[in-house]
Amino acid sequence: MKPDARLQLDARSAPQARDLYAVRVRAIRKVFDELEAIRDVSLDVANGEFISLLGPSGCGKSTLLMMIAGLLFPTSGEVILTDTPVVGPRRDVGVVFQNPVLLPWRSVIDNVLLPIEFLRLPVEEYRARAVELLKMVKLEEFAGALPRQLSGGMRQRASICRALIHDPAILLMDEPFSALDAITRDDMAVELLRIWQATRKTVIFVTHSIREAAFLSDRVLTMGRRPATIIDEVHIDLPRPRHIGMTEEDSFNRYVRHLRKSIEASHEG
Amino acid sequence: MKDKQPSFLEAARWPIAFIALLLLAWEGAVRYLGIRSIVLPPPSEIAIVMATRYDLLLTHLWPSLYLTIAGFALSVVGGILVAVLITYSEIMRRGLYPVIVVSQIVPKISIAPLFIVWFGTGTVSSLLLAFLIGFFPMTINSAMGFQSIDEEIHKMARTFMASRWQVFWKIRLPTALPHIFSGMKISVTLAIIGVIVSEFVASQEGIGYLIKLAGGLLDTPLMMAAIAVLSLSGLVLYWIIELAERRTIYWQATAGNLAETGG
Repeated sequence: MKPDARLQLDARSAPQARDLYAVRVRAIRKVFDELEAIRDVSLDVANGEFISLLGPSGCGKSTLLMMIAGLLFPTSGEVILTDTPVVGPRRDVGVVFQNPVLLPWRSVIDNVLLPIEFLRLPVEEYRARAVELLKMVKLEEFAGALPRQLSGGMRQRASICRALIHDPAILLMDEPFSALDAITRDDMAVELLRIWQATRKTVIFVTHSIREAAFLSDRVLTMGRRPATIIDEVHIDLPRPRHIGMTEEDSFNRYVRHLRKSIEASHEG
Repeated sequence: MKDKQPSFLEAARWPIAFIALLLLAWEGAVRYLGIRSIVLPPPSEIAIVMATRYDLLLTHLWPSLYLTIAGFALSVVGGILVAVLITYSEIMRRGLYPVIVVSQIVPKISIAPLFIVWFGTGTVSSLLLAFLIGFFPMTINSAMGFQSIDEEIHKMARTFMASRWQVFWKIRLPTALPHIFSGMKISVTLAIIGVIVSEFVASQEGIGYLIKLAGGLLDTPLMMAAIAVLSLSGLVLYWIIELAERRTIYWQATAGNLAETGG
């Protein structure tokens, strides 16, 4: 990867000590049935950093995320989370999927507590935390409701709570808002930043929305198609906390234009 | 999501009206055409037999009913266990499952005389036939249910490090419940057939025996009363399962809940 030198020269870049990185991806290559899906991807994500993987649908960005989650394994290369190589799903990771995938027979709070049961942790001790998380996403009134009584946005908020319940250091989000309507989507982006601000997790956010990536992230990595590689890296130096009004400003739109150009370049090449 | 589910009474209103009309027409036709009771008794005569000879009917109903329930229970337990085996064992899925599906072709009723040869004319034959006949739909429905787990939910469970055991109890089993209940509804009606056929072949008691006996005596009203009692029992068993299903699978939409969320 060739990081943009001009954008790289800011304070946040290049942490020195190894333990500053939450996620390190080392020269990953993934081949499905002799078809090369991902070629030579390396990236480092600092602790507490919010990065987006931006790219067109089917470009392999979700595959990369699933390898970080330990659900898929690279053909070569490795993924290191806080100094240990990934060999399977692990406790310090929480995942939010494109669909909320809540269990329809469980109440919202029992869905949030599901990872606690899977990890064989004492459920009762985590109940208060579940209520706190639901409060944070303004769902505390719906703790006892069944998923089908919730709107799409509310369900996805509940699934974010589920991903955070066991207090993982790393949050992986696989196009979490792409099934929502445009207005709910903007609300959810603002909501997510508020959650991130409050919890300071390391977030890897996969999306095909340029605006979403630019609005949310500290850094956007653009991926090209077939085989997927990282073709561009941009630091988004917009002040935090961010608010939705910033998406009207020139500084924001400059990033959007830049990202659009690099995606278009990948189509031509 | 399903359409609004009407309440039981609302749903039953039209079928009940239809049956009442049919009985009235039957009564009228038999009286008007002067059909002899030995050929086709009017519904009123059947009702009178049911009211006056209820002790005879009940004496023969109990053994049939209890064998039906026992055979049905066995087929539920056996069917679910075999379905679990099929779901978790590659060898069973490849070897046993097709055999079970193909064996459906054998008309189980034709095995009844064989069971009499093997196990005698007692309750064992009836029980085994009821079990065997109800076992297949139970197995196939449950197996389908266990395998209908949503791939995304499975992926979610794996990222949160769920064990196979946890996936079974917390995800597969609840997912399979609607299929298991459909299997139960089929099996319970089949279990009745199994018991009655077994009683036809050789038995000294039970509704099947009573129907055969009444037939031999040309007592058509008694025969039809026995059939009516049997049908009503089957209806009650089916209805109990339906009720259990609605209470167990509470998360599927019902009229009240839909109204609450604006559907």
